[in-house]
Formats: sequence, structure tokens, C-alpha cells
Amino acid sequence: MKRLFKYLKGTYLGLLLLLLYSPIAVMIVLSFNQSKSRANFSWGGLKWYYELFYESPEIIEALKLTLTVAILATIISIVLGTLGAIGIHACKKGYATMLMNLSYLPMTMPDIVTGVSLMLMFVFVNTYVYFPRGFVTMLIAHITFDTPYVLFSVMPKLKQMNPNAYEAALDLGCRPMKAIVKVILPEISPGIVTGGLLAFTMSLDDFVISFFTSESNNLSMLVYAAAKRGVEPTIYALSTLIFIAILILLIIINKRSDLESIS
Amino acid sequence: MYENTKLIELKNISKSFGDTQVLKNVDIYIRRKEFVTLLGPSGCGKTTMLRIIGGFEFPDEGEVLFDGKDIQSLPPYRRRVNTVFQKYALFTHLNVYDNIAFGLKLKKPEELLPNEKKITRRKIKAEIDRRVKRMLKLVKMEAYEKRSVDALSGGQQQRIAIARALVNEPEVLLLDEPLGALDLKLRKEMQVELKSMQQQLGITFIYVTHDQEEALTMSDTIVVMNGGKIQQIGDGKSIYDEPKNAFVANFIGDSNILSGVMLKDFEVECAGHRFECVDEGFAENESVDVVVRPEDVMVVGSDVGMLVGEVESVFFKGVHYEMKVNTGDFTWKVHSTTMHPAGSRVGLSIVPSNIHIMRRMEAEG
Ligand SMILES: Nc1ncnc2c1ncn2[C@@H]1O[C@H](COP(=O)(O)OP(=O)(O)OP(=O)(O)O)[C@@H](O)[C@H]1O
Ligand SMILES: [Mg+2]
Repeated sequence: MKRLFKYLKGTYLGLLLLLLYSPIAVMIVLSFNQSKSRANFSWGGLKWYYELFYESPEIIEALKLTLTVAILATIISIVLGTLGAIGIHACKKGYATMLMNLSYLPMTMPDIVTGVSLMLMFVFVNTYVYFPRGFVTMLIAHITFDTPYVLFSVMPKLKQMNPNAYEAALDLGCRPMKAIVKVILPEISPGIVTGGLLAFTMSLDDFVISFFTSESNNLSMLVYAAAKRGVEPTIYALSTLIFIAILILLIIINKRSDLESIS
Repeated sequence: MYENTKLIELKNISKSFGDTQVLKNVDIYIRRKEFVTLLGPSGCGKTTMLRIIGGFEFPDEGEVLFDGKDIQSLPPYRRRVNTVFQKYALFTHLNVYDNIAFGLKLKKPEELLPNEKKITRRKIKAEIDRRVKRMLKLVKMEAYEKRSVDALSGGQQQRIAIARALVNEPEVLLLDEPLGALDLKLRKEMQVELKSMQQQLGITFIYVTHDQEEALTMSDTIVVMNGGKIQQIGDGKSIYDEPKNAFVANFIGDSNILSGVMLKDFEVECAGHRFECVDEGFAENESVDVVVRPEDVMVVGSDVGMLVGEVESVFFKGVHYEMKVNTGDFTWKVHSTTMHPAGSRVGLSIVPSNIHIMRRMEAEG
């Protein structure tokens, strides 16, 4: 009986993982196919990867856009999120809870709602001043959804910090700004790094919100557009690379939170 | 000892958090080089008072004077005061050495090296190193300078917190229960250390504790507080020998506190007996509190005592026996160097000068 259970448990887990990962596995395998056919496989080496980087200018354009937006949005949301967290932390309790809930709401909101509402705002602004949907609007949108991730990674670090640490810095001769730079920031830096990595990951793979807020393609949008025309194996190669990049980022984030829970 | 000038003055300070009034019309002054202890039960407002002096809290009413000047608008980093916080507040991203060096690195070079004509980076570094090393030695933590502060015990952290504040040689050092996490032996050692540091460096100490013994051994002046109010200010001896009210008597050392009636000058009735005493100036038949220290109650033969009672319990306390003796109207705490078994009948005797008469606390409100 016990054995049966164990057996069932193993099978269940196996099936689940198969279901989750087989599509990705198929995609990765096909990215190494010789021909465009999806029916038969023969080893083609890095053919499609080569084509991706050397013969698909629009993909490289999209990659550049995606990375630029992700990096800038991460940096800006780190600044905004960290300052926000420090500010909220200094507020009175009831007020702080309210601000936290307000910041939490956009995270739980479906992307489509965020995307549509941002699009409406940009369109509205555009009727008064010239404000085309492109790089800038996409950047603003990404900052909007990235900032809460930083905020919520930094907040616990602030809570863990000794309540008198900031005052101790003032006591020893720091002005307020210096106390923040020399004491608070170093004490919460693990949270800032984790938040930044999360934000970067979110930016990298965002499709829905970018789709509504920009007319220039980022990678996800490009893949989507290409899929409508009929998918090229270069897209498999691209998706495989994105998958690996995200996987690495997530492993880093997990490792970091493991480390933190130990210390 | 201390000079006779007022360095810090709190004038009529009141402070509330929301509806709770934490300090009520507090009035004290602290002289240069004095060792002042704020003593009182948990929640009586000791930390709040220190925080007002340190500049982290603002009184609702009253004035804070430093050297005769109002310093209420001065931020903490401009006050010539350093604090040892109750929860240490060490910087966890820095090691022991860098925690202690933190304040020194913020000082101006000419402050650090006042006699040096040509100040170089290397000389500054050497001076900081010299001072940090001296502090580490003082708090007996030389072997730990490269350690992370997270890896220290509570007592070690406390010593680093003391070193970090003291290294700046402030005019006034505020210490909020700085020895609370130490074991008894280390605490006694550190008490002696702190006291001698204070005298050597000539720094004014404002020291918070709720341990009355610590207060008595270390302080020039003790400020006894309760419920946000100052109960009594004085040196250890005067507070111990002449407590102003029953709270002080009870808080400083063990006491027998009885309610009594002042029959006339030099005569008080309590516990069913008329005692001769040395107090006068009360109204006839005024209700008073009578305080007698346990060590002042003498155990004598049951035939010669002023009072006769039965021993209820006996505990050995190292030097003396602590007994409870019931004389019918009152159960006395008695310290005696001779053992009397529980159940035996003994006589009790008190000399007039050891009977302290105090006005009723309610009357002072
Ligand atoms: N920031 C604050 N907000 C609200 N109430 C406070 C605040 N700080 C202190 N209190 C209250 O003020 C009172 C006095 O606090 P304080 O910390 O001064 O006491 P304490 O004498 O230092 O006690 P302990 O010996 O336990 O440290 C307490 O009742 C406390 O709950
Ligand atoms: Mg306190």
C-alpha cells in the first residue's frame, strides 16, 4: 500500500513536470533543427542562432530595446522603490499600512488592466502635447510595474534593521543624508539587489504592458508578431536564449534569498 | 569629582505620546563631570528623557539647556553628546573595528590632530587606529576587531556600543542600560571600568538603569523616577537613608513600609506599638508612612523585644539570613546574621534613628 502511494506520488510529480517543461524542451530541441520542418529532426548545429544574430536586424533591434528598457527601468525603479520604502518606513503605522496596500494593488492587478490604463493615459497626454508611444512610454510603463518589486524587497530589510541604527549614525556625527548613504543603504543593500534583479526579470519578459504602451517592438512583442506570420526557427533560438537568461536570473534570486534566510 | 557648574538643565519638561503622558514637569540639572543615574521601573520615561537630551525626541513643553544655551533646535549631530542605545544599534554591515571608527572618520582632521601642523592622510589613519585600539583594549575586545558584529554575544555587542560612543570623547555620554545584557560578574567588572573611565576622561555620564544596586555603586547623583515624575534627587546615601516617600523607600533596597499615626513630635504609632522616633513637625495624629530597613530591625530575645512575633520563613542570602517575622499586626522583613528557625518566637527591636517617617504619598499626589 505504502509503496503504491510512493509510486503514485512519483508518477504524479513526473507527469506534472513533463507537462510543464515538455513544450520548452521541444522548443529547445527544434532550435537546433536542420530544416524548418517541425515534423522531422536532424541536427543543424547553431544554424538558427547564427541567423538570429547576423541576418535578423529587426530581432537585434528588439533585443537592444528590451535590454535598454530593462536596464534603465531597473535603475530608476531601484531609486524610486528604495526611497519610497525608506519614506514609508518612517511613516506612522496606519499611514504606512495604507501606502503599502496602495503599492501592492498594482502588483496584483492583471497586466492587461495596467497596460490598457497606461495606454489610455499616454493617448490622453498625446492629445495635448506630442507624446508618441515608443521608447519613452515603454520605459515609463516598465518603471511603473517594476517599482513595487523593489519596494517590497527593501521593506523587510528596513524592518529587520535596528530601529536606532539611523539615530546612532546621527549621534556619531552624520547629517541625515549622509546617515542614509553610510548606514541605511548598506544595511538594506541585499534587499535592493534582490529587488533590482526581480525588476530586471519582469522587464525582460514583459509582453502585455509593453504591447499596449509602445509601438516599437521589444522581444516578446516581436515573437508575437512573428508568430502571426508563421514561426521561424530563429524565434525558437531567440526564445531558448530568453528562457536561459530568465532561468539564470531566477536561480540567482533564489540563491540570494536562501543565503539571506540562513544569515 | 564634578565641578559645580550646571552643564545640562531640563526645565519643566513634559512629553506625551498620543494620550499617554510619559514625562510630567521634569526639572533637573546635571553638573559638569557628574555621574548621574536615572533610576526607575520599566516604562517610567528614562529612555524618553535620554532621547530628549540626545536630540531624538522633542518635549511638548519646557526647555533643554546645554551650557546655558537652549539646544532644542540643534540636531543630534551638532550636540556634544553621544549615546549608547538600549538595543546597542551597532552597524551590522561593518565589523567591530569599523563600528568603533565610524564617529572618528566623520570628525574634521584638525579636530582629530589638533597639535599637528601638517596633516596627512596617513597621520589621520594612524590616529584613528590608535584611538580605536585603545578603546578595544578598554572594553577588553582586542581579539575581536575584525569580527562581524552579528557574530558577537549580547554582552560583547554592548561593550562595542560603549566603545563606539566613548571613542568620540563627548562632553556628555548618555548610556541607556548599557550593562543590561551582561552576566553578574562581568557587569560588576564593567561598572568599575565605566566609573574609572568616566573619572579619567572627565566626561559627564547620564546613566539609565533599573538596577538600584548599580545606581548606588556608580553614581554621584541618583534621580529616582516613577510614572514620568521625579520622585527624589540626591546622592546614594541620602536617598537610601532618607527616602522622601514610600515609593523611593521601596525601590531603593528592601523596606518595611507601614502606615502609622504621628501621635506627637518624636512619637509614632504603628504595628500596634508606640515607637520613639527622631521626626517632628507633623500635625497631631497625622497619618504617615513609616519605613524601616530590614537590616535595622534587630532580633532580640522574646522577653526583651519591643515587639514579639513568630518567624514565618527563613532564607539564607550569603551574608545574612532573610526572615519574615509576624507580630500579629504586621509581617516584618528582617535581616539577621544569626539563624532563627521558622516557627520560633523572637523579639524585635528598633532604635529611634532607624525609624523613618514620611508624609503620605497620596498627599503629594
Ligand atoms: N515613540 C513612542 N510612541 C508611543 N509611546 C512611546 C514611545 N516611546 C515610548 N513610549 C511610551 O512611553 C513610556 C516610557 O517609555 P520609556 O522608553 O521612556 O521607558 P523606560 O523608562 O526607558 O523603560 P525601560 O526601563 O523598559 O526601558 C512607555 O509607556 C512607552 O510605552
Ligand atoms: Mg528604556
